Amino acid sequence: MNEWMSLLWAEIKKEHRHSFHSSLVYFSLLIWPVVMFVTAYYSFAPFRMGADSPLARFVAPGQLPLFLLTGYLGYIFFWCLVQSAWQMSFERQAGTMEMIFISPVNRLAFVYGRSLSALVEGVWLFFCFTLLAMAFVGGIHVSGWWAVPLAFLILLVSAVVWGGFLSVLFLFSRDAGFLYTVLDEPMLIFSGVRLPPLAFPFWAKLISLCFPLTYALHMVRALLMEGAELGDLWQELGLLAGVLVLLVTASVFLLKRAERHMKRTGSMVLY
Amino acid sequence: MFLVENVRKVYRIRERGSWFSRQWKEVEAVSGLSFAMRPGSIVGLLGVNGAGKTTTIKMCCTLLEPTSGSITVDGYDAVRCDRQVKALVNMIAGGERMLYWRLTGRENLQYFGSLYGLSGSRLAERVDTLLDLVELREAADTPVERYSKGMKQRLQIARGLINDPKYLFLDEPTLGLDAPIARQLRRQVKQLAAEQGKAILLTSHYIHEVEELCDEVYIIDKGRLVAHDTPERLTRSFCRETTLRVTIPVLPDALQRDLRQLAERHRGTWDVAETDQQAWELTLRSEADLTAPLLSLLAAHQSPVLRLVTEQPSLEDVILQMAERRSA
Repeated sequence: MNEWMSLLWAEIKKEHRHSFHSSLVYFSLLIWPVVMFVTAYYSFAPFRMGADSPLARFVAPGQLPLFLLTGYLGYIFFWCLVQSAWQMSFERQAGTMEMIFISPVNRLAFVYGRSLSALVEGVWLFFCFTLLAMAFVGGIHVSGWWAVPLAFLILLVSAVVWGGFLSVLFLFSRDAGFLYTVLDEPMLIFSGVRLPPLAFPFWAKLISLCFPLTYALHMVRALLMEGAELGDLWQELGLLAGVLVLLVTASVFLLKRAERHMKRTGSMVLY
Repeated sequence: MFLVENVRKVYRIRERGSWFSRQWKEVEAVSGLSFAMRPGSIVGLLGVNGAGKTTTIKMCCTLLEPTSGSITVDGYDAVRCDRQVKALVNMIAGGERMLYWRLTGRENLQYFGSLYGLSGSRLAERVDTLLDLVELREAADTPVERYSKGMKQRLQIARGLINDPKYLFLDEPTLGLDAPIARQLRRQVKQLAAEQGKAILLTSHYIHEVEELCDEVYIIDKGRLVAHDTPERLTRSFCRETTLRVTIPVLPDALQRDLRQLAERHRGTWDVAETDQQAWELTLRSEADLTAPLLSLLAAHQSPVLRLVTEQPSLEDVILQMAERRSA
């Protein structure tokens, strides 16, 4: 455990110095999601949003800003991790990946440490903005103070597991960049960031089940918008836990395969 | 003890083909290579480009897996017990990669140290010791991107020593460095073997570096071991010819004739070229030492000697000879 903690701390420090070296980086990490949120909100403006609108069957019209805020908060959590995994190509190019894999460091600790550090650095500013915006917009309905930290924890854990899984995929090949295109936009569309998955046609609902963000957002909204009790969420929590266990198992298995693959083909130095 | 036994590495490379057909080619980078490293010794691994030096080093460092054969490090198999082996080895490569440029020298060492389970005061002490060793204490808190090439290379050395490895692999460590910095690095490498008892394997294109540092040299060609001995013995066994270069002001026909006869008598060769200073430079190559008979001949022809240089064969000649044989 000590090894994990010291490595997590080392990764956080390294990522902070290496990728978040300027206040402009933080500025962009706030401005970009805020712009996305505002754009999404005003995209709904030209449409009829009254109680008899099609969307009202799934989201109360007055709760749309809150729905979008939670959606984008969740999306930013996961988006940061896609970015971080994509950045793995930097380690390949700089030759630092070889120096990491030459060491006996626990590979899983490295992958999750990297994800966690990228996540904390990437979301804290937008997280603060979201909390302030939620307070300003109003409409938060929670059954206890614990609902906010629990929502945060659900997002954090599921995003880190997702990020670890992606980082492992990026270890396989220098050409894994296509995953960014494959995963990023579909995640935004199908996970229920802007529209609830219940409003999707059947085939789209099936796709939405592939993204852990779908389950995480459902629970976060239930906690923050519907005042759900912990007891109401056991089923969803179990489902999310199942998905996360599946992802961790796949990460462990693929991590071993990826390292073996690199050792056999010498692909670690190809970029 | 570091033992490499009958190691072979075959890469399977996909050849460019159409969308629907896949063709694979097998390339044997290392073929049946065996060698050993003992504590306190510096071993050279030489060969022309593509000989398999870097592949060998990466297999020794567990970055690559041998296709067959075995690498045993203090009794641990490098494939089955790679975590134990990783704690005992490290690699330093030439060039400016393998560092985080936005981080300072100290932060780089702290990060890489944490990968080996170092933390707290143990890590801080180790980092300070290494910064002193490579004389980077003053620049420790400067981002690496502001370092000169030599400073980056010294930081690489410190990084390679962060886990206090018993076996150290140096892949072209002085590549592109100025002569004084390269000399300083060579001094440090010598100290690591002599004072700290580390076993070091060195590859370098600067042959004089290998001659100066290595106790024994393995020469590989197309992945195969072609020679193994001390640098001196290798040079003697492969290149026995001594080269004599003499500069004289005039070269009459009679002297030319006698020089040719002298060379032929000793199964040597000779050559002549006019220098910029309107003099003649004679080059005689022979397995015998022709210094005395040549000087006698020049004295007999009353020819003054402006310059006389004797060149002993070097390890570089061995490599060049091998490269020539390879292309022939």
